[in-house]
Amino acid sequence: MPKVFRIIALILLQIIGFLYPCLAEVDDAFIQSEIHKLASEDAAVRKAAIMTLAQSGDLRVEAILESYKLSEFYLWNGEVVLCKETVEDEDFNEFCLLSDVLTGEPVLDADGKQAQIPLEELEEISPSRAERKLTNSAKFLVRLSSPDPEIRMSGVKKCGDPPGIIEAVPQLEEMSQNDPVKKIRYIAKESLLLIRLSRTSLEQAPDVHLEIVRELGDMKSLRGLPRLEEMFDEMMVEVEALPDFEEGTDIEELAPADEEALGIYKYAIAYKYAINQINSYQGFVGGVGNIFRGLSLGSVLILMALGLAITFGLMGVINMAHGELMMIGAYATFETQRLFGHTPDNPSDWYYVAALPVSFLAAAFVGYLIEVLVVRHLYRRPLESLLATWGIGLVLIQLVRIRYGDNIGVNAPTWARGGLEVVQDLIVPYSRCFIILLCGLCVLLIYYLMNYTKLGLRMRATMQNRNMANSMGVNTQRVDRYTFAFGSGIAGVAGYAWTLIGGVTPDMGQNNFIIDSFLVVVTGGVGELIGVICAGLGIGVLMKVIEPLGIGSMVVGAIWAKILLLIIIVGFIQFKPAGLFAPKGRLSDV
Amino acid sequence: MFRKAAIPQTGDQASSEASSQSIETNEQKLWQEKQIEAEKGLVNGQLSIFLRRYVPWALLFIGLVVIPALYYIGLITLGTVNMLGRYMAFAIVAVGLDLIWGYTGILSLCQSFFFALGGYAMGMYLAHHGGPEGIVDANNWKIPACLYVVYPYKVGEAPGDALVPWFWKPFYTLPVTLILGLLIPGIAALAIGYFGFKSRVRGVYFAILTQAITVAGWLVFCMNNMKLCGTNGLTRFDRIAGFQLTTPHVKVSLYIVTLLALVGVYVLCKQVVKSRLGRILVAIRDDETTLRFSGYKPYIYKLFAFSLAGMIAGLGGMLYAPQMGIFTPTNMEASASILVVVWVAVGGRGALSGAILGTLAVNLLYNFFTSEKNLLLFTWRTEYWQFILGGLFIGVVLLFPGGLIDLWHRLVGKAK
Repeated sequence: MPKVFRIIALILLQIIGFLYPCLAEVDDAFIQSEIHKLASEDAAVRKAAIMTLAQSGDLRVEAILESYKLSEFYLWNGEVVLCKETVEDEDFNEFCLLSDVLTGEPVLDADGKQAQIPLEELEEISPSRAERKLTNSAKFLVRLSSPDPEIRMSGVKKCGDPPGIIEAVPQLEEMSQNDPVKKIRYIAKESLLLIRLSRTSLEQAPDVHLEIVRELGDMKSLRGLPRLEEMFDEMMVEVEALPDFEEGTDIEELAPADEEALGIYKYAIAYKYAINQINSYQGFVGGVGNIFRGLSLGSVLILMALGLAITFGLMGVINMAHGELMMIGAYATFETQRLFGHTPDNPSDWYYVAALPVSFLAAAFVGYLIEVLVVRHLYRRPLESLLATWGIGLVLIQLVRIRYGDNIGVNAPTWARGGLEVVQDLIVPYSRCFIILLCGLCVLLIYYLMNYTKLGLRMRATMQNRNMANSMGVNTQRVDRYTFAFGSGIAGVAGYAWTLIGGVTPDMGQNNFIIDSFLVVVTGGVGELIGVICAGLGIGVLMKVIEPLGIGSMVVGAIWAKILLLIIIVGFIQFKPAGLFAPKGRLSDV
Repeated sequence: MFRKAAIPQTGDQASSEASSQSIETNEQKLWQEKQIEAEKGLVNGQLSIFLRRYVPWALLFIGLVVIPALYYIGLITLGTVNMLGRYMAFAIVAVGLDLIWGYTGILSLCQSFFFALGGYAMGMYLAHHGGPEGIVDANNWKIPACLYVVYPYKVGEAPGDALVPWFWKPFYTLPVTLILGLLIPGIAALAIGYFGFKSRVRGVYFAILTQAITVAGWLVFCMNNMKLCGTNGLTRFDRIAGFQLTTPHVKVSLYIVTLLALVGVYVLCKQVVKSRLGRILVAIRDDETTLRFSGYKPYIYKLFAFSLAGMIAGLGGMLYAPQMGIFTPTNMEASASILVVVWVAVGGRGALSGAILGTLAVNLLYNFFTSEKNLLLFTWRTEYWQFILGGLFIGVVLLFPGGLIDLWHRLVGKAK
């Protein structure tokens, strides 16, 4: 009876599989039949079955082959079963706990317990040594046939990693020519070369070997680099043993008369050339990547500092709670995410669009309250406003900490994950692109607002000469409030952007940003937007460029980069005390 | 920024110059009257003079005699004496800050950095003489126990290439430590001040600059490979000048030494403030530009005050370390620096005794509010302290600019 059911189920599955070719479950029956072949007496059949399984492209095959390798498959009444564990009853009879052959999940009997079979009824299927080895390679081959390019890519990569899967060569060759994805074609070729490199030695086929080295160099293969360096070091040992080698000379300049020595030099130079090719390319990519990371860090700094440039630069208020306004923007984003029910498994990307105005408004509202309650009274006392706003910051941090705990996760929307590979090995994350764009947008918006709207006109008038603006009928108090709220809102947007690239904690503003952004404003010159932009980008990029610098194994690192940057800024202030773009004329006296 | 002549805020309607002037004179008159009123104080005459003369001595007597006596009678615990001693060490820092902030008008946010420099100097001395004996490096230097954490091997193993870092060695003897603990913060302050004041970084800009320096220093001291024991800080203190730190007599003596140091620092600063130099410092606060135009070089005076305050903070750190029994980089966080400012602000800046008063008051408050309490309607939790602290920051600036000392002055009047 059960057999009939199974046949019906198989037929049904076949039909479904015919209708939905993308469903991998199509192959259930096929895989099962192949597994059955693994129990065959005939070695050739077993081998063929392994290879067929490997080419199925179904990821479950990886686990199946692993189980096969570990001899977890058994023959029971002519059927193949999977048994991962055994148990003993009171009489020391061993029982085998059944698992599903395809998925490896426990098979449950009618009582809801895992089904058991007495061990003596089982017949072990144990692969031979050669088959184990084949299985090992075949596990990697599975991924090569997957319809998903991501999985295929990981498989292709794995095949080339040492020691190299020789069985994959024909398939890799085919893929390096015909795969629809360019990146996979590249990696396939790289893996192919790496496998060949490990199989062809210099002694046996020097020309082929050198050709492979040259090609790897041309491809700027990062994965080939360690192998090449290793071989270069081996070769250098031979080179240094040569009589006409002198310490400290460049091997490229040596031209020994001896035929054999010339050959050795030729090989060493070939290795070195390939290594240099790869290294210089990686240096270039790393440099560009660092500049890009610097740009995005600079963009966050600019967003942060833009708000400060408005409240501090234009209004002269030291707002130490500025970092906390940024934190509020980040938590507003988090709240919006919760409202939309966005999780990594169940994404609803629109939340991130909605969070932009929400974070702006939330921070602006808090900023408005701060202005009305505290800052309003302190316009002529900057040092006191520093203290009072620090106190506000403490209260805000503690409120948020009590409400949300110490660490929350904002999940980036799906479109901000991953990145664009501009050229080989240079990946530009979408999130950072977005931040740079957002920053540019905010700058434009502020520029427009300040220079082309009535509100902006009033703001500028109030900041330049409060009394005069007052006598011309500008309600300066109200302008103050709006300006402060606007600057705070921009900080909220900075927090919103930060959620894409960094962690969100209650004290993020105080720890990471407030001092940096003040330094940006001070370096850029108070009261000038262009100064903030230049200083923000400059500091961001410098930071990321200094970070990886180093002599030998000593790398500057994030902390020393920060300290170096601080020294640079202090030195800079010696020469330009008023910043990059100092306000001129009477305003500079403020 | 502390210019006296506050220009009155004009309303929405434009007012003529004449009327605004009359408002100004009126306000000034009122202000002067208030001042005179305030200087008189609530109690007048003999009582006021009596209070003014004897209350400081009485406080000193309480600190020096009554509190140790109370401990020996058994009314207060050793922990309380120790705690008061630590707060006195904080008060020393606050007096230094009051000298530069209250009198000279420089808001420095790196006092905790200087404090920590002094503390680390003393901590290194104490670490040299603490922890398990007999573990020495190749040059026969005893390796301080807290350094094990940052060396890549376990306690008890000291391979030949792990040496005591060179900058640990000067702090082996107490006199050198005491000198260096004052000199290093002083020189650091001199350097920071030189670059700051020479290029006329003023007011808020200087505050932010110093805060950035504090953060930078904090980052460096937190690094594990600096051989300054990283975030764990200096630990395993055992003996100071041969005496066990844990014994009650040593703790009480440390308390008394700290109190005496506080008095000494107070007297020193008072002398500085009273002298001609002090008047120049106040002039810098009130109008630096005018002072410069009258032929002074303000930055030299500022440098003097700033490095003096730095050394005072270092002294505070040196006295704090043995009483605390551990010294970690948390003592030099940016927030620790701002805390010093709030002590001074609460006490009343521009009065050295206010700084002491404020430090003790805020710290005792902290001590009181950072324990869980069951009030009638809700439970007071430790984390609520931040609200009180934040409220103190805001309140002292908005509602209570004179600070605690102002209350005292209202009671007994202000000494001329």
